[in-house]
Amino acid sequence: MLTIENLHATVDGKEILKGLELTVPEGEVHAVMGPNGSGKSTLAHVLAGRPGYAITAGTVRFKGRDLLALSPEERAREGLFLGFQYPVEIPGVNNVYLLKAAVNAARKHRGLPEVDAFEFLTLVREKMRLMRMDESMLSRGVNEGFSGGEKKRNEILQMLVLEPALAVLDETDSGLDIDALKVVASGVNTLRAPNRSLVLVTHYQRLLEHIVPDRVHVLVNGRIVRSGDRTLALELEQRGYDWLIGEAA
Amino acid sequence: MSAAVLTRLRDEYGAARAALPGSVIDARRRSEAIEMLCAQGLPAGREENWRYTNLRILDRARFTPAQPSAEALPPLPEPLSGFARYVFVDGRLRSGATAPHGVTVRSLLSGSAADGTWRLASELPEARLALLNEAFATDAACIEVRSEAAGAGIELVFLAAAGADSGASYPRVRLALESGARLTVVERHVGVGEAPTLVNSAVRVELAPNAHLTHYRLQHCAARTAWFDTLTAELAADARYDLLAVGTGALASRSTVHARLTGRAAQLALSAAALGAAQQSQDMYALSEHLAARTSTVQTFRGIASDRSRVAFNGKIAVREQAAGTDSRQSLRGLLDGAQAEIDLRPQLEIYTDEVRCSHGATAGKLDENMLFYLLSRGIAPEVAQHLLKWAFLEDVVAKIELPQLRRQIEHGLVGRMSEAVALKELL
Ligand SMILES: Nc1ncnc2c1ncn2[C@@H]1O[C@H](COP(=O)(O)OP(=O)(O)OP(=O)(O)O)[C@@H](O)[C@H]1O
Ligand SMILES: [Mg+2]
Repeated sequence: MLTIENLHATVDGKEILKGLELTVPEGEVHAVMGPNGSGKSTLAHVLAGRPGYAITAGTVRFKGRDLLALSPEERAREGLFLGFQYPVEIPGVNNVYLLKAAVNAARKHRGLPEVDAFEFLTLVREKMRLMRMDESMLSRGVNEGFSGGEKKRNEILQMLVLEPALAVLDETDSGLDIDALKVVASGVNTLRAPNRSLVLVTHYQRLLEHIVPDRVHVLVNGRIVRSGDRTLALELEQRGYDWLIGEAA
Repeated sequence: MSAAVLTRLRDEYGAARAALPGSVIDARRRSEAIEMLCAQGLPAGREENWRYTNLRILDRARFTPAQPSAEALPPLPEPLSGFARYVFVDGRLRSGATAPHGVTVRSLLSGSAADGTWRLASELPEARLALLNEAFATDAACIEVRSEAAGAGIELVFLAAAGADSGASYPRVRLALESGARLTVVERHVGVGEAPTLVNSAVRVELAPNAHLTHYRLQHCAARTAWFDTLTAELAADARYDLLAVGTGALASRSTVHARLTGRAAQLALSAAALGAAQQSQDMYALSEHLAARTSTVQTFRGIASDRSRVAFNGKIAVREQAAGTDSRQSLRGLLDGAQAEIDLRPQLEIYTDEVRCSHGATAGKLDENMLFYLLSRGIAPEVAQHLLKWAFLEDVVAKIELPQLRRQIEHGLVGRMSEAVALKELL
């Protein structure tokens, strides 16, 4: 699904990703952990095509295609979804309108007709119930005035409606209360499928109790310095990152 | 601005005066107006409050009113249901309707000599182009509303059809609401054709105590129109004036609004949205003069300048000595959408009394990169994402349009593809 080789990326001339390697096979859930400032969000943004990053070396293949050659909107239509660490508030752009426009953009890309408005709303309502979101949020501006946790739920709602092939969720668990974490986790779990992959960026082992990963990677100073199974997350919880930072240096 | 223009203006007036209808404005008043205007001179770019207006057009303009035309009407905006529509072509009434209960609508072209004496009553130098209208006006819509008119609707459509070679058009309106009367007016300025056109409109609003006027003004003139407009309003005690202006058309547009809040607790809400594209200039000057206690003004402006256009809003709130307890709020925002576009926002506050609450904010900037990327990351095409964000930017003004049909029309005009969002909103 996703193959990253020797990825180097700079921001304002400063190198953040320094030869990152990561492979996520179809159907798998991978967790990426690492200290603050190690480059996790940078990786997520580079994958989604955010402007402002210079890719100085390396390749990224997504479903066999050169991901870096695609524009941000093409990546999304091809089935890449980024759940933002800090979802943006867009007052005046209707939440449900964005959802529908996003769905239709992807459908058009696949040569499908526009979604039926009524069926679409039925689907959205069903997913909202799953995310325990109040229906009134639909008619509000995108994330406008949403609490931190509500914004994260809204990200997952979008993901559930868009059904991406690969979702990169950047700290979707941060800022969630214990119940919300379960809601979000069960939402994510409903998407797990043999033809779908997930990359979870997280600081907390707790999320991984609910969404059990196939692999855990540790990102330190712009590189994956260790990979393992889910027990690696438990080990990190106990030992922190210092021992790995030492190794990386 | 040279003396030659004024000489020409006088000459044109001299040649036209005999044919100008006295029932619209009496001959003496017209001559006074021309003299006053010539004494002051036409507005010039070096004057602080005219800096952003495209005034060069006046150098070459032909001021003489266009001759009445009998040409068939082009397609006009869809009429608003429940509204009585009056269509004026080049400033003359073409077709009318039955006025709603409690409302009198008259074309002064067929009025009496006594009608010709009202004027705009603003000494403000910024309002002096109304004198040009006063000198040349060929007709006037006089709308009087009695208290029994509860929420009636009038639609005025001003079509500029004549090219500038054949003359200018002078829309003129007087709106007088009696004590306690309510009215909604939709005033549209539209045009046809590719020829340059000069429009000079003048509108007078008089609100008696406790009257409430909701006034939508839509400037969708043709691409090469120069639209100069002056509106003066007088608000008595507890009167409420909701004025919402949307400007998207014309090559050069300048609107001057002078509202005087003369009665205690009078309220003015002025909301304006302007879109500039290509080489357009959209300029508005709005003065709210507080002359009585506990009066209030809310000014909201949202402007988007694209390409090489220029959008300007100059909003002044003056609180005179006798206006203790005044409450005024100003929120002016501009969006720059092009390296060569220009936005000029000027909030001005002039306070001569203590005990007032005034807040104002003015910001101009570009589209938010974070918002843009968020939309792209959801698969939205860049053009659509930009449309959406512009749309969102105007929402503070557009959301104030209380007539769904009109809002839809305006939304269509503003961002063609957004009609779907509206349909969906309603479904929810
Ligand atoms: N415009 C910029 N100029 C310079 N450095 C930047 C810029 N943007 C980000 N960085 C740096 O890049 C590094 C990686 O940031 P990134 O957001 O990817 O970290 P992260 O791993 O997601 O951290 P966190 O766990 O706190 O979310 C940080 O040191 C950050 O300060
Ligand atoms: Mg981060």
